[in-house]
Amino acid sequence: MRGAARVHGAAGVGIGLRQPHYAQVLQDLPPLGFVEVHSENFFADGGAALGVLQQARVSYAVSLHGVGLGLGSAAGLDPWHLDRLERLVQRIEPVRVSDHACFARAPLAPGQPVVHGSDLLPIAFSLASLDIMVRNVSQVQERLRRPMLVENLSAYLAFRAGGAGETMDEPQFFAELCRRAGCGMLLDVNNLMVNALNGLADADADVEHAVPATNPTTPPRRSALQACCDYIDALAPGSVGEVHLAGYCESTQDLGLVIDDHGSRVRPAVWQVYEHALRRFGPLPTLVEWDTDVPALEVLLGEAQHAVALAERVHQGDLA
Amino acid sequence: MSAATEEQRQQALLAALWLPVEDTALPLLQQSGARAAQGLAAYRANAAALAERALAAVFATVQAMLGADHFKHLAREYWHARPPERGDMGEWGGDFPDWLQGHAAFDEWPYLGDSARLDLAVHRCERAADAEFDAASLGLLQDVDPAQLRIALMPGTAVLGSAWPLATIHRAHRQLEGRQDSPQDAAAAEHAFADVRAALQARRGEAVVVVRSGWKAQVHDIDAPTLAWTRLLLDGAPLGTALEQAGEGFDVAAWLAWALREGAVKEVLRVAD
Repeated sequence: MRGAARVHGAAGVGIGLRQPHYAQVLQDLPPLGFVEVHSENFFADGGAALGVLQQARVSYAVSLHGVGLGLGSAAGLDPWHLDRLERLVQRIEPVRVSDHACFARAPLAPGQPVVHGSDLLPIAFSLASLDIMVRNVSQVQERLRRPMLVENLSAYLAFRAGGAGETMDEPQFFAELCRRAGCGMLLDVNNLMVNALNGLADADADVEHAVPATNPTTPPRRSALQACCDYIDALAPGSVGEVHLAGYCESTQDLGLVIDDHGSRVRPAVWQVYEHALRRFGPLPTLVEWDTDVPALEVLLGEAQHAVALAERVHQGDLA
Repeated sequence: MSAATEEQRQQALLAALWLPVEDTALPLLQQSGARAAQGLAAYRANAAALAERALAAVFATVQAMLGADHFKHLAREYWHARPPERGDMGEWGGDFPDWLQGHAAFDEWPYLGDSARLDLAVHRCERAADAEFDAASLGLLQDVDPAQLRIALMPGTAVLGSAWPLATIHRAHRQLEGRQDSPQDAAAAEHAFADVRAALQARRGEAVVVVRSGWKAQVHDIDAPTLAWTRLLLDGAPLGTALEQAGEGFDVAAWLAWALREGAVKEVLRVAD
């Protein structure tokens, strides 16, 4: 059986459709729940990439995942970007539309023209930042006439907390965002792990082992894995519309950080976090992302098959 | 806390990544010292890699001319000089040819700007709207006064005239793409670059038209009258005017046969349409 005729898992597991695999995917039509693409790569008026996507759409559901809206930008959204996204949505009729809880647009100095940072830059989890996110997400949804999903970020820096009562934790921020804007959350479990390992989640950098407290009056530091599971437990059931899986790497530039490079297999601990998410939320559309050092298609399909098998086992209660 | 404060800290972080002016941003971050420096370095490394990748995807000839290492540094310099304004990196680099031409380091390479313009024309041609040829519209050429007609070319079609041998340069460098290390390839490359050297020595100007064939843009050499004619068509001039102004020696029948063969014509229209 070919293409979307057989959908993996109860909710579907998909892969990122990237240029090195265009021809093989279109020829072989491997069974997938959906394919995902970065929306901005298809903003052109026409051309080969758009032609490939339109051809893929015949056989697959398509998830349009943006990396450039900058939904948390205090400077607001770029009307040009919104125009192009609307046109692409009309052309492709995607199964889901998503982007990130990040900022990208700001001036380099006060009063100067707004530039695009071309990266997923961290936002503060403050009430003011929430207002900006709600305003921008609502603008996108009104324009597209459909709800969207917003992804939690992997970050290498975080803004300092504001005054008392002005800052919330990240799961609270997403719960409020979903409630006020009527959007859903795209839960990237690899991003949770990257943040935990980089010290952004009040956890120890050890993946699995909590670190005993040096002072007997303080609790032990939770492990990175525990921090990820705690995050998931704090999210409202029903708020998550898609899960992302990917690989991370240790920095090659001796930065002492792990880098969310989407360039390798999903790490064992991230599979554990995924399993935890499946237990809490039930079957969810799941994407395996692989954006750098893209491997042979068979490797990527193997990762997708692993996600399918895990989801089916959780669904059937084998791991209960 | 007001939205203006979010505005200020976003601006401060972006400036710290770009300029870099870290003094304003650092007090706003949870991280400090070496850990803050690591975070900033991670974002800067992302930006440098993206700048090189995005620019190389468009300006392949320029990259081949300068070499990968030199081009990498140039991409970073351009990134800082002309930050992206859009979230689609395929749109970045529109003024790279002008910036390159004005760059003091390339005074000895006066043809670099035009080579970049040709790369950009190829890139834009391959992203242009897909369109169908309206064969039936050719019938208007039989029935209507040329003064009342114009020819619309396929989206993405572009012309460039240069005081330098930009077509020969483009061809030679593109020939290197996908080259194996066979003696035949080496000989072909040597031959192509001998042409470049000879053309540069003779200060031979060249003109080209860029036309899409399927998904790929093709670069065709054209003469001066064809350059003038095609520019007039792209400006929407009536055929009568274009014929008058194309210059001596322009053979419209031969051009039409070529344009139909290469898929350059979209349709024939009445001027009022």
